[in-house]
Amino acid sequence: MKRYDLVIVGAGPSGLSAAIEAAGYGMKTVVYDENSRPGGQLFKQIHKFFGSKEHHAKIRGFRIGEELLQEASAAGVEVQLESTVTGIYEDKEVTVQRKGHIEHVKGDTIIVATGASENMVPFGGWDLPGVIGAGAAQTMMNLHGVKPGEKVLMLGSGNVGLVVSFQLMQAGCEVVALVDAAPAIGGYGVHAAKLARCGVPFYMSHTITKAEGTDHVTGVVISQVNEKFQKIPGTEKHFDADTICVAVGLSPMSQLLKMSGCTMSDDPKRGGQVPETDEYGETSVSGVYAAGDVSGIEEASSAMIEGRISGTRAAYEMGFVSEEDEIKELTKLKNDLLSLRRGMFAPGNKGKKIEKTEEGINVSQNLLTKGYLSEAEIFRYPGICRKKGLHPVIECSQNIPCNPCQDACKFSCINVGKDITSLPVVNPLAKCSGCGMCVASCSGQAIFLVDEDYDETGASVTLPYEFFPLPRVGDQGYARNRAGEIVCKAEVISVKSSPAYDRTNLLTIRVPKDMAMKARFYADRAETKAETAGGAV
Amino acid sequence: MERRITEHPILGTIEKGRKVSFTYDGKTVEGYEGEPVAEALKALGVMVHRYTTKKHRPRGIFCAIGRCTDCVMVVDGVPNTRTCITSVREGMTVETQVGVVPASQVKDTVLKGGIMA
Amino acid sequence: MNEVNDRSRDIGPFIPGPDDDMIICRCEEITRGEIRRAVHDGMFTITEIRRYLRCGMGLCQGQTCAKLVKSIVAGESGAAPGTLEPATSRAPMRPVEMQILADEM
Repeated sequence: MKRYDLVIVGAGPSGLSAAIEAAGYGMKTVVYDENSRPGGQLFKQIHKFFGSKEHHAKIRGFRIGEELLQEASAAGVEVQLESTVTGIYEDKEVTVQRKGHIEHVKGDTIIVATGASENMVPFGGWDLPGVIGAGAAQTMMNLHGVKPGEKVLMLGSGNVGLVVSFQLMQAGCEVVALVDAAPAIGGYGVHAAKLARCGVPFYMSHTITKAEGTDHVTGVVISQVNEKFQKIPGTEKHFDADTICVAVGLSPMSQLLKMSGCTMSDDPKRGGQVPETDEYGETSVSGVYAAGDVSGIEEASSAMIEGRISGTRAAYEMGFVSEEDEIKELTKLKNDLLSLRRGMFAPGNKGKKIEKTEEGINVSQNLLTKGYLSEAEIFRYPGICRKKGLHPVIECSQNIPCNPCQDACKFSCINVGKDITSLPVVNPLAKCSGCGMCVASCSGQAIFLVDEDYDETGASVTLPYEFFPLPRVGDQGYARNRAGEIVCKAEVISVKSSPAYDRTNLLTIRVPKDMAMKARFYADRAETKAETAGGAV
Repeated sequence: MERRITEHPILGTIEKGRKVSFTYDGKTVEGYEGEPVAEALKALGVMVHRYTTKKHRPRGIFCAIGRCTDCVMVVDGVPNTRTCITSVREGMTVETQVGVVPASQVKDTVLKGGIMA
Repeated sequence: MNEVNDRSRDIGPFIPGPDDDMIICRCEEITRGEIRRAVHDGMFTITEIRRYLRCGMGLCQGQTCAKLVKSIVAGESGAAPGTLEPATSRAPMRPVEMQILADEM
């Protein structure tokens, strides 16, 4: 039987991170993954990540995946693909299905980093072809370049539902509606705002009644629900759609841990059945660790740090690293993890209704129910100011652990401060050079450059633009407001692309002066999707 | 209707393997080597991969990562093959699955009534 | 999970519901109504439901329906979902052909 110092199950963000640490300390490490490519879900993530520099902030997920793979190969990690761990037995014996056989291997330590599986909600016709998980949509469009559908209805307003909806539009699909039974949007407000300004309507306190179609989905009926999540008769709305995308949360894929004898608990805040672990991810079975989503659903950024913590700890337990070095390394990693676990969306705040920001500012209710900040609300946030000349307008209203905007500005115009969950503050005295780095660096696409004195009658608004076809200078189109409604005509006066912007294009439009604080997106045609969809049944 | 994304605003040009032919329910179709069968069929507009055993319900892609087993078809004669994690190869045969057999082996009358009901 | 699962408790009669014909276990094609009725037939645990109806025992091994079945059983039997023990985790974790399973090395 083959023997390893460390056997890791799952080559996703946490498994690879754990392997990099452990192999770096000299442990003979193997990583098994059932898929044909390593990286887990990272290669499907084409958006820029949140966080701080230490957390790979403003780098797109798939690029983080590429970096991890390079790091792993440099560290000499052995990654076995198309290798399914089918069981973990006593004395850390592991069975792996590989190349048509079952192999037995033994690990002196084991890190289970199997990730999560998608939750589902049943509705009439939910087994029809055309009803897919959000992960399936990402796999199709971002890995294989195939559109999941033409007209998609998204169920679920958590970060996955919001991010995947935006990605669907980037792939050229139309998102006809975003529906959630909860009364408030679950994911980041900035993600919701990106959709709302494109004209995607939000239907909160709504659920899918049925999928229509005989052989595949041709339409969807949704209904409003009451506080007890019961459908209210007479509120049905119909949408033409060929695809229903379901993004209603994830569950830890913890069966292997349970099988290996770890003490498990049912923790709704962490997504379901999770192992009881210490602060290093070690379970009740000595030498068996859990890292990443399998020990509680969080973001990929936290999964990577958890992996590094477990990898380092395993190396220490096995005598590959001195206590002194271990303490130094773990203290740093734990601090990185703590800074990610703060703010309104911290794991501990799951399910809590938060009324005020850390700064004591009222949270926008409009953002939570409709997906955008109302015009009456925006001026209460410190990133929004009006002044003469060009300046950034930061429509960031929730405490999210993220600060690339601060690093992006070389003129001290933007300040987040030491606490990375603080709302960015725009300094009205600093001079903006118009470089646009802040616009491109904001993972939430919430920063705009506004010049209310562009010319005699017009103002300029620079906005992040990640769609094809890219408008051209001189194009005459329309401006949408935060709600996605067409509010005025707009002329494209500048289109900037740069490697430093990493495929976020900076589009500058000229709009009438009174539209400077309203116009937030550009459309080449005057129709709004919200007006054409959602007919009565 | 173009179902393949050729130029993506973030991913740029989507790279593909070489074009290969395979048969889908007896017809010769094309896909790209190495991509999953399910993706090649999706790009061709195929929605139904199989009909279930008991209730004769149509099923297609659901999870796309080999977990849910909804997209199984008869591939090179082997039923219950997960098409979302099986790569396209030159000359392979892919058939719609009814219950656990290829659709071609099921009489039409039976198809309509639902087999083994 | 230490609480005694009192089988003598009265959970009332089976009342047909509008969603009873909705598929819950996609692999084995088990409906919500069948699961609800099984609870009234005396199946109070996930293990019993699995053996009685085969839901969660198909190709996907309950990957999709486990949580759904649990919430239906909890709702019907009046147990808190957290007190229902999930199905036993066993090897193989994924469907494996018998010829591979038997080919150990």
